[in-house]
Amino acid sequence: MLKNYFVTAFRNLARNKSFLLINVAGLTIGIASCLLIFLVIRFELSFDDYHAKKDRIYRVTTVFDRSGGLDYSSGVSVPVAQALRVDYPQLEVANMMSRGNDMITVLEDGKPVKKFRELKGVFFTEPQVFKIFDNKWLAGDPATAITDPFTAALSRSLAVKYFGSWQQAVGKSIVYEKSQPIKITGVFEDVPENSDYPFGVVISQSSNRSLMTNTDWQSTTSDQNCIIVLPENMSAAQFNNMLIAFRKKHAPESSTTLTKISYHLQPLNEIHFDERFGTYNERTFSKELIRGLALIAAFLLIIACVNFINLSTAQAVNRSKEVGIRKVLGGTRRQLVFQFMGETFIITFIAACLATVVTWLMLPFLSDLMEVSITPGAGQIPQLLLFLVAVIVCVTFLSGFYPALILSGFNPISALKSKLSAKSIGGLSLRRVLVVLQFGIAQVLIIATLVVISQMNFFRSTSLGFNQQAVLNIPLPADSVSHSKRNIVRERLMQQPGISNVSYSFSAPADFGAWSSDFNFDHSPVPINFEPSLKWADTGYFSTYGLQMVAGRPYIESDTTREFVVNETLVRKLGLKSPEEALGKEINFWDGRIVAPIVGVVKDFHSNSLKDEMNPVVMGTRERSYRMISVRIDMSKSKELLAKIEKIWNESFPDYVYEYQFMDEKIRNFYRQENQLSQLYKVFAGIAIFISCLGLYGLVSFMAVQRTKEVGIRKVLGASAANIIYLFSKEFTLLISISFLIAAPLAYYFMRDWLNKFVFRIDMGIWFFVVSIAGSLCIAWITVGYRAAKAAFANPVNSLRNE
Amino acid sequence: MIQLEKIFKWVNAGNNRTFLLKDINLTINEGEFVSVMGPSGSGKSTLLNIIGMLDEPSEGSYHFLGNDVYKMKEKQRSQLYKENIGFVFQAYHLIDELTVYENIETPLLYQNIKSSERQAIVADMLDRFNIVGKKDLFPSQLSGGQQQLVGVARALIAKPKLLLADEPTGNLNSKQGEEIMELFRQLNQESGTTIIQVTHSEKNAEYGQRIIHLLDGRIEK
Repeated sequence: MLKNYFVTAFRNLARNKSFLLINVAGLTIGIASCLLIFLVIRFELSFDDYHAKKDRIYRVTTVFDRSGGLDYSSGVSVPVAQALRVDYPQLEVANMMSRGNDMITVLEDGKPVKKFRELKGVFFTEPQVFKIFDNKWLAGDPATAITDPFTAALSRSLAVKYFGSWQQAVGKSIVYEKSQPIKITGVFEDVPENSDYPFGVVISQSSNRSLMTNTDWQSTTSDQNCIIVLPENMSAAQFNNMLIAFRKKHAPESSTTLTKISYHLQPLNEIHFDERFGTYNERTFSKELIRGLALIAAFLLIIACVNFINLSTAQAVNRSKEVGIRKVLGGTRRQLVFQFMGETFIITFIAACLATVVTWLMLPFLSDLMEVSITPGAGQIPQLLLFLVAVIVCVTFLSGFYPALILSGFNPISALKSKLSAKSIGGLSLRRVLVVLQFGIAQVLIIATLVVISQMNFFRSTSLGFNQQAVLNIPLPADSVSHSKRNIVRERLMQQPGISNVSYSFSAPADFGAWSSDFNFDHSPVPINFEPSLKWADTGYFSTYGLQMVAGRPYIESDTTREFVVNETLVRKLGLKSPEEALGKEINFWDGRIVAPIVGVVKDFHSNSLKDEMNPVVMGTRERSYRMISVRIDMSKSKELLAKIEKIWNESFPDYVYEYQFMDEKIRNFYRQENQLSQLYKVFAGIAIFISCLGLYGLVSFMAVQRTKEVGIRKVLGASAANIIYLFSKEFTLLISISFLIAAPLAYYFMRDWLNKFVFRIDMGIWFFVVSIAGSLCIAWITVGYRAAKAAFANPVNSLRNE
Repeated sequence: MIQLEKIFKWVNAGNNRTFLLKDINLTINEGEFVSVMGPSGSGKSTLLNIIGMLDEPSEGSYHFLGNDVYKMKEKQRSQLYKENIGFVFQAYHLIDELTVYENIETPLLYQNIKSSERQAIVADMLDRFNIVGKKDLFPSQLSGGQQQLVGVARALIAKPKLLLADEPTGNLNSKQGEEIMELFRQLNQESGTTIIQVTHSEKNAEYGQRIIHLLDGRIEK
């Protein structure tokens, strides 16, 4: 029985090669997209899900309640972990860790041999950390490895990088920045990519004096995470309640600050998805984005299934005779449904196999785009297969069931008498609904893509209020020896033809990681109720970045802070009527540690991405805080200048590793995730349109065959080719217009939500919608037109002769 | 074997009710060979379809082998049909995608007969109809007469008690038609298969023992 079905199915498929091709192509692309999205989602959802204690691991986070709203930090003050251990001995583990990414020097026989700048993975932490996360140890004992000062454990790949092989690492030494030698006491297996705790060099916290002596309960940086493991019998809610008393005890609210601090537990399984707090990977993946991707995957699959349904029902007429015969020979409806579902299964199965190959080929590109390796390991194969089976079953049912029902429902007498036509078997209106659905989805994706792309262009082209072109950012080492070389380095750089400006500063005008603090304004006893960004920079900063003054003048050059310049937003936030009013007023930081007058007001510039509001900014000179050199260069000589700058830098700071970044590149990085999203949208919208058009082409081909006679008669009666093409395009034009009417409001609604995430954004003008409908119509016309033209130019004598 | 009582069949076209069959009362005994004749549109095919359980009348009752067909459950009726009725068509109606062998085998598949048994039955049938050499050909590779031979073989494969033929020779030349008719007579006489055929040809009708004349949906005389 099965054999007979398969034989019929294969011969049938072989007979209708073009239909097979269209169906398989559509389904292959649909399933492949689905698989790829599944891999992305699976990867993102798998973050830190492999730790044995994962359900009891929490991060203690800090929430600042400022008058302006809530601020979230993934970090806590350094003493928190120790205090938690003392106050709540029932906690299984409470551990502090701090990120300290900088230069690692490898020692051999006490002498430095290699230098590496580690941008990721260097941590100072307490020894309990290895009781929290599951790391496989290759050498050393996790319980004792980093209990002593100046001990560290390495990941396998870093051990190989530093010492040639991990077996040789234990007992060797490294230096962190300018520390005393740190002994390697253990090597652990590399942390998988799906972890937000990417340990590479784990140094005992006791090696870091500033961390050990830190008793400041007020300041917090997101680099300092406190991770705890709750005992089995305690819920997060219970402990959150305890944290209220804990905060009151250790960090009582002072009457002068308006900021309220509270601690909250964040479960491990939320860390990767909560944009408000961030991770050590500097990458979160919101649940919203996951839902969006899942939706797109479902959409693409549905579009592919719709093709299938459309083509199969359209083709049903050709199968009616077979259905009639089988019924007369005793086949029941159930057996026929089974047979046709089997055929769908075969097609789906072929498509799924091809899709697996396509997925495999596309994986490197997607990994590139997402900047993570989502290639599944051997362990994920069963999961992947299960998903594939689920997709095959779903697609088989979604696309096979309705055509099977239609086909098996034929009355055998009329089926055998060929009384059935495309119209009488029904499904015509359904096919129309499906085309509308298909193009509706495609158009939602088109509009979304256009909006995302325009917003990205907006990000790229909008001026941030300073000149971001042709400025090179290179690090200035923090130690005093390096700082003492500032003037010499500047002079050497300025001597190079093509270098017009050199400036030292704490950070770039717009940069990751800001330093912000409140201050007392104009002798007021109460600090201001917001925290402006602090931009420590020398006077050259203004010319290097082309900052413009709206009142007063830039501060004069000095090593300490003698004068301040503020921006317009700060003036506005202080409630002053005009920039001039701010001039001469005094700013007092940290209870008189820095007191100086405002001498100028600078025109507003963005100190962070356009996603966020314009920040208030305070600028001043402060030599000890400078961490970077900004160099404005002539881009036409960039190649030789880059080499010369590197040479000068290496000669001046021989103990450090050189690196550089162009300012505009840094700014592009602000929008990394949006950029990825726009790329994904582009690809998937393209796929949606392609599959839809494939289906449309199939449908029109079928119609053309069905209406050969009609076309012949019309031509004999004097219709022109244009009339015939119009005949074919008319209906599809109408259908696509209807789908547009449904898609436009939906897309508007979704994309307005998305745009609202950004403070500075484009308006969703009418042209997005005009382009969408016009584009869809054009593509559809081209698809339909080709086939219709073929029908229209055919000689009517041929089509009528065999009647 | 077959008892039709007060069978009416009509279709409604607007306000007009068009009768396809009017008050048909007919008894056919096992082993009979009946020819149904009449002009086009007289209801011959409709009658045959009703007897073959492919169609239902608007009114009336039908007993087949003592079973009241219209009071049976769908499943039982389907079973009764599969085991006892074979169909032969004017246009042969072979499945184009299947070979001769597979076409003949298909009814057995729907009766859930085991593979080995099926092979034996089909091989016997190919032998009996002398078409062993053609078993791997597709219908389009056969002449009309050969196709109809396959059609008859397929109709007989499940050893039905009743063979229904709707103008089986309509598309054949007279020699091929004669061969099919001889085959029918042989079947009727040697195996005792009941045969009801619809035909336009007086000559072919003569092969039957009884001729029923239909006119405007009524049995004449």
